[in-house]
Amino acid sequence: MTSTLSGADDRRPALTSADPHGGPVPLVPRARPEPVANAVDLVEATRRHGAPETAVRALDGVTISFPAGSWTAVMGPSGSGKSTLLHCAAGLDRLTSGRVLLAGQEITGAPDAVLTALRRRTIGFVFQSFNLIGSLTAEQNVALPLRLAGRRPSPEAVREVLTSVGLGERMRHRPREMSGGQQQRVAIARAMVTRPAVLFADEPTGALDSASARMVLTLLRGMVDAAGQSIVMVTHDPAVAAGADAVVFLSDGRVVDRLLRPSAREVADRLARLEG
Amino acid sequence: MLLMSARMLRERWRLFAGAVLSVALGVALVQSSLMTMASTADSKVPPGVSGRAAEEIREGYAGAATLLGMTVMLAGFLAVFIVGSTFTFTVAQRRRDLALFRMLGGSRPQLVRLLLGEALLLGLIGTGLGIALGVPGTWAQSWMLVALGMLPDGFSPSWTNGILPVSAGLGLGVTLAGVLVASLRAARVRPLEALRETGGAARAMTVTRWLVGLCFLVPAVVLIPVGRTSDVLGAMLVAMAVSIWGSVALSQLSPLIVPLVGRLLGVALRAGTLGGLAEANLRDGVRRSASTAAPLIVLVSLVIGLTGTLSSLARATGMDVERVTAGDLVVASTGANAARIAAVPGVATASPQVSVDISVTVTHHAEGRQGRRTHHLGIVTVDGPAYERTHRPAPRAGSFDRLHGRTLAVGSGLAAEGIRVGSRATAKIGGTRRTLRIVASVAPTLENGSESFLIPRELVPASLTAGAPAETVVQVAPGTSAGAVADRIRAAGIGTVRTVPQWAGDRVAEQQRGNDGIMMVLMGLGGLYAAVAVINAVVIAGAERRAEFATARVSGLSRAQVVRTALAEAWAVTTIGLLLGGLVAAAALAGFATGPGPNILVVPWGLLALLVTGSYLVTGLASMWTTASATRTAPVLLIAARE
Repeated sequence: MTSTLSGADDRRPALTSADPHGGPVPLVPRARPEPVANAVDLVEATRRHGAPETAVRALDGVTISFPAGSWTAVMGPSGSGKSTLLHCAAGLDRLTSGRVLLAGQEITGAPDAVLTALRRRTIGFVFQSFNLIGSLTAEQNVALPLRLAGRRPSPEAVREVLTSVGLGERMRHRPREMSGGQQQRVAIARAMVTRPAVLFADEPTGALDSASARMVLTLLRGMVDAAGQSIVMVTHDPAVAAGADAVVFLSDGRVVDRLLRPSAREVADRLARLEG
Repeated sequence: MLLMSARMLRERWRLFAGAVLSVALGVALVQSSLMTMASTADSKVPPGVSGRAAEEIREGYAGAATLLGMTVMLAGFLAVFIVGSTFTFTVAQRRRDLALFRMLGGSRPQLVRLLLGEALLLGLIGTGLGIALGVPGTWAQSWMLVALGMLPDGFSPSWTNGILPVSAGLGLGVTLAGVLVASLRAARVRPLEALRETGGAARAMTVTRWLVGLCFLVPAVVLIPVGRTSDVLGAMLVAMAVSIWGSVALSQLSPLIVPLVGRLLGVALRAGTLGGLAEANLRDGVRRSASTAAPLIVLVSLVIGLTGTLSSLARATGMDVERVTAGDLVVASTGANAARIAAVPGVATASPQVSVDISVTVTHHAEGRQGRRTHHLGIVTVDGPAYERTHRPAPRAGSFDRLHGRTLAVGSGLAAEGIRVGSRATAKIGGTRRTLRIVASVAPTLENGSESFLIPRELVPASLTAGAPAETVVQVAPGTSAGAVADRIRAAGIGTVRTVPQWAGDRVAEQQRGNDGIMMVLMGLGGLYAAVAVINAVVIAGAERRAEFATARVSGLSRAQVVRTALAEAWAVTTIGLLLGGLVAAAALAGFATGPGPNILVVPWGLLALLVTGSYLVTGLASMWTTASATRTAPVLLIAARE
């Protein structure tokens, strides 16, 4: 696997990052989320797909904790269960057995209203396919989660967040008028604006060119360092994983390894061994 | 939320244009029908017209009110059906958007509110358009009713403000009701579906579809054999019920049936590579195929089923008239000339019936109520014994032998009105009032609008009958050729001569003319609605398939090939819709062909051909246009940059 980003020395960018168009972009000063030990806990988490006899175990008794205020990357070969892990941890998919705790709150089997409330206040999402609403401008897309939660976002707050991702000038543009990198930054701004306890990212740089990808990683790093944001990220790119604080490796639905602050090369080697 | 709804609408107006149009059409039709109805109810018969003319005008008003009532019902049914199916389809097409909305923290009630907000806006736009369209609609409708002869010349509809709330209520009500089911369904979209590239493999056959489909299918299937064993009127009721219920049932079950039939059609399509692709698309896009086929099923089964029913009924009526008339020829002439027919050589019996302008007042006993009514139309003078010889069934009560002097008989037109034999009637003949005794009552026939009273000819002075229109049933003497007698009558310059079957056919056709007008209007309306729904489905599906078409093109298909594949798919779906609609119509009409009586089935082949051609034309054009416009952008742009 070739990395699209330069390696270990890129791992700790400055708290303020350079905008490609010019000056430094200060990240929004944020209140630290509630001090809980772990952002997410999975206990004996099992997820089976299909009929009981022919079931495929996408997750097979996984017990893992994602510490608060840190960035964890989840890696593994295709079909190792990394997306299922992310979906179950975020309450988007239900476990067959086991438990999930989100910011200390038990969500296993929680009713839809509870999960909806969590999605409004506790969780943020960033995906590979930016998932913006095409009919809304950047500004409106960012304000939407707050509106859905019944809060009236001040235009200044929205502007601030968009400025912090370097898009202060493009507030009134619609997604189709922006590049992929810009769309992903709008999606990050949308995830930042609710100040979630946990940000779930699924291949956030998967559809981006390397310059845009680097910018997105810088933004995520900044959120962790400046605001104590917890991030759980699925990726297949060792260089992207190397940006995280810890990397967890999955294979056949089980956690098989864990690395702390690895370099891109270390990640790539470990992954090659798993796939080989 | 309303603002958000508005934005979604603006972004995807193409999805909703059809829904707005169907709401507008529904509102316009209902409003114009109600306005015209209100005007006919307000209209007084102008003073100074004769009693006969007044009765004709009143009958016209009643006929117009019936037609308008049917229009209101049909427009309401189609509006609910089409708006509902359009919304269900748009929700299905937007699963990914709606799931994203849920993922960002939108709750189920918020999602329902979003969609209801959309519906409210669409309903307002549609209602506004509809109210505006209703104004020329009212003019057009009353013009048409005057042209059909149902309303008197110079009838002009008046504007009634009281109907506007009905229009508004209908427009908004239909839209909100149509979207309610769809929005409750959308509330079940899971947030995770936002991450699926293909927009969710949602089950196309929902519980609601199963329930509604089976609830209509079972009674329709049970009724089919009933139609085969019952009389003509029974078969007619069965046919109408089967066409309506069957069309609803099959359109609801279409996601189940369309792929099955598609598999059969696939054998033909699979011959070529593009055909194979079209066939695979057809089976894969179950919901899309079903949405296109459903309105066609409804259209064909309703139009062919109902038109076939009315035509078959007309044929049965013609045969009935023929059956009761025991004669060789029928001569149309004036009353004076009719009197000369008996003297023509070769004529054994001549039974003249002269339509006279007199009035008869009788007591009706119907459903426990009784009351006196005056009749002006359908009163004929007859020669009792000759009438008895030329008309087959014996009177239901009394005897024609006694039909002379101060008597009269109740004709088949009023046979069901509860006028008792033996009671008294008052006749006003040329200014003199006479009390007559009812001595007989003719058995009812299928005919609508036949004679109301038979009066002995000696009661009516020759001055009243001489210029009046007459019809004479002629029996020729044994051994004489009917043709020769007909020639002699013609040569004598008495009047027009027809054989009994010819005359019966013409007579029924004359009575059918009003019916045909009604059917033409209702079917035109149905066709227009179905066209809107079909175009809707094709356009919505095509617009949402940009990425799919782009993939097909980067896989090596030319733009023309993509258009052709989509066209093959659209035509295959059209074929399926037409076949299924034809199946319902055939089941509905089966009773007429195989009933206990003679075969009276009339299949409206001309109309069927028109429908088939029209359907292929509409789906073909809609498909080519949407595919062509969806493939205008270079495919690589669509594949690379997704929103």
